[in-house]
Amino acid sequence: MQLPEPVQKLIDAFSRLPGIGPKTASRLAFYLLRTTDDTAPALAEALQALKANTSLCRVCFNITLSDREICEICDDPRRDRSVICVVEEPLDVFALERTGGYSGLYHVLHGVLSPIEGIGVDDLRIQELLDRLKENVTEIILATNPSMEGDATAMYLGRRLAGSKVRVTRLARGLPVGGDLEYADQNTLKRALDGRQTLERG
Amino acid sequence: MNLTHLSLTNYRNFTRFDIDVPGGVLLLVGPNAQGKTSLLEAIYFLAIFTAFHAEHDRQVIHFGASQEPLAVARIVAEFEKAGRRHRLEVRIIQDNQGLNGSRLRKEVLLDGVPRKIQDVFRLFNAVLFLPQMLRIIEGSPEERRRYLNLALAQVHPDYAANLSLYSQTLTRRNALLKQLYERSGDPAQLSYWDEQLARAGAYLIQARIQAVHELERHAASIHLELTRSKEVFRLVYQPAFDPLPRPDNQISLPMETPIDRSNLAYEMIFQRFLRALEANRAEEIARGVTTIGPHRDELRFLANGVDLGSFGSRGQIRTAMLSMKLAEVAWMKARTGHWPVLLLDEVLAELDLERRADLLARLEGVEQALLTTTDLNLFSDDFVRQASVWQILHGRLESSQEPQPGSIR
Ligand SMILES: Nc1ncnc2c1ncn2[C@@H]1O[C@H](COP(=O)(O)OP(=O)(O)OP(=O)(O)O)[C@@H](O)[C@H]1O
Ligand SMILES: [Mg+2]
Ligand SMILES: [Zn+2]
Repeated sequence: MQLPEPVQKLIDAFSRLPGIGPKTASRLAFYLLRTTDDTAPALAEALQALKANTSLCRVCFNITLSDREICEICDDPRRDRSVICVVEEPLDVFALERTGGYSGLYHVLHGVLSPIEGIGVDDLRIQELLDRLKENVTEIILATNPSMEGDATAMYLGRRLAGSKVRVTRLARGLPVGGDLEYADQNTLKRALDGRQTLERG
Repeated sequence: MNLTHLSLTNYRNFTRFDIDVPGGVLLLVGPNAQGKTSLLEAIYFLAIFTAFHAEHDRQVIHFGASQEPLAVARIVAEFEKAGRRHRLEVRIIQDNQGLNGSRLRKEVLLDGVPRKIQDVFRLFNAVLFLPQMLRIIEGSPEERRRYLNLALAQVHPDYAANLSLYSQTLTRRNALLKQLYERSGDPAQLSYWDEQLARAGAYLIQARIQAVHELERHAASIHLELTRSKEVFRLVYQPAFDPLPRPDNQISLPMETPIDRSNLAYEMIFQRFLRALEANRAEEIARGVTTIGPHRDELRFLANGVDLGSFGSRGQIRTAMLSMKLAEVAWMKARTGHWPVLLLDEVLAELDLERRADLLARLEGVEQALLTTTDLNLFSDDFVRQASVWQILHGRLESSQEPQPGSIR
């Protein structure tokens, strides 16, 4: 016997999410089927609002509420506009913000250069980053993850920025290699931020 | 070093096997299909952490156990090295419970403590000869590279790590080359991968230059003995990226011309490799693949100037392979300070009487050697008397016999 289509559809949808296998997907689906409280409707509403009520900041490409063009950080007059910290994902921004140790701006690439996944320069917000250099920026901090791909992206950006006057730094290796920025604890992150180094120019 | 105790659970046809292992020469005797080769393969597993004789490690789990929800083959060895005793345990685990098919994993414990494989590599050293290894000489270049890799990973501290880094980088670099060809894009993205590849690759090249140089020295002298001075043996390393520039007017040198690369410094190999990658960039983008580097290296075996891969007779190739294996033993001893355990499968078959005698004479110096045979009569009475003998039947020890009194050992 086949599962009724609505159930199967939800299982399939869950299975497409990272970190969720078919077993977990079915468990979630049947759990939602069973619940009588407002869990399922609340989830549906939250999912819809997620896309409808958020957008990307026009300047740094961090996520923001859809009623604003520029995110809170870019909009904050107290932030230091001469420093831009370049990260892979919006989650990295929140991780760095939690440390409270950084007062500059951000730039979210939305990924890394990944030959295996076929992600190249044009698939990331790289040109947009280069365009921002006109705005009196003096330092770029490259805070991609210390993975092979993260390093490759940092080195590529370092070379692209080599001709400009900005100082280019890379997060110091307080971070475990292969580790994700978003999972690092606050102290490690803070130390990494303080000990950032100028990228050698190739 | 000395293997002193071995215990197998559900490894090939050994469901339960637990026994002290004598030093010196141990002969494993039995009819076909009783488990002699499997025993050697299990011991070699402790040196390379994979089953040399299998296409996939899951094949070593006993048929009867492999259908269980959690199928486990276990190798436990006690051994002595540099006056210290260790217990090394390897578990090959097939988890059949997952919804996405079965998964294989390996666990390693040293003295009861779980360890990463890369941290216990080089602790237990062994050299294995299988008749199938003649493929190393006759087969594809890949077999020869695998052979070099397995030998080197047991000796050079960072070889395994650099090999893995090299192949990960190669995969990514090739993907990027293809992407640049198909979708175009900024070729400057290659710089990072070029540098990574050249760093790891230069290490591999330098290690291979050294190893081939040293192995050739040992093998040539052993081969001269085994062939009673009839054959001059040479091992020739042909790197796909040659860090040594060719003399100007020479396009290719004849293979017999000895080329000494042993004094090239790492930094120089790295710089030259990197520059060669950059010089080849346009061509490699057009072909979508990395065309130079250790992944395309060649190794050739010559006897009296003749390439054995193309022109060797069975016996010649067999003798050359044996010379190589014995050379590996001497090389490992020189490099690490310890004798590896020598594992020889059906080693006397296809050798003429003279070569048999010479081979057995060479085993005198080795601390521990395990030899398999279906026929004890291939060995001289003297040799058998000085050895321990195990009868292997149906994955069990049928009987054992200690060295006879009056023997030298
Ligand atoms: N996973 C496994 N489970 C059970 N039996 C296996 C497994 N893999 C191999 N065997 C069997 O184990 C037996 C022993 O094989 P092995 O190659 O060790 O024999 P051998 O004593 O070296 O024989 P020969 O003299 O023919 O070389 C063979 O019958 C083989 O089919
Ligand atoms: Mg056999
Ligand atoms: Zn912003």
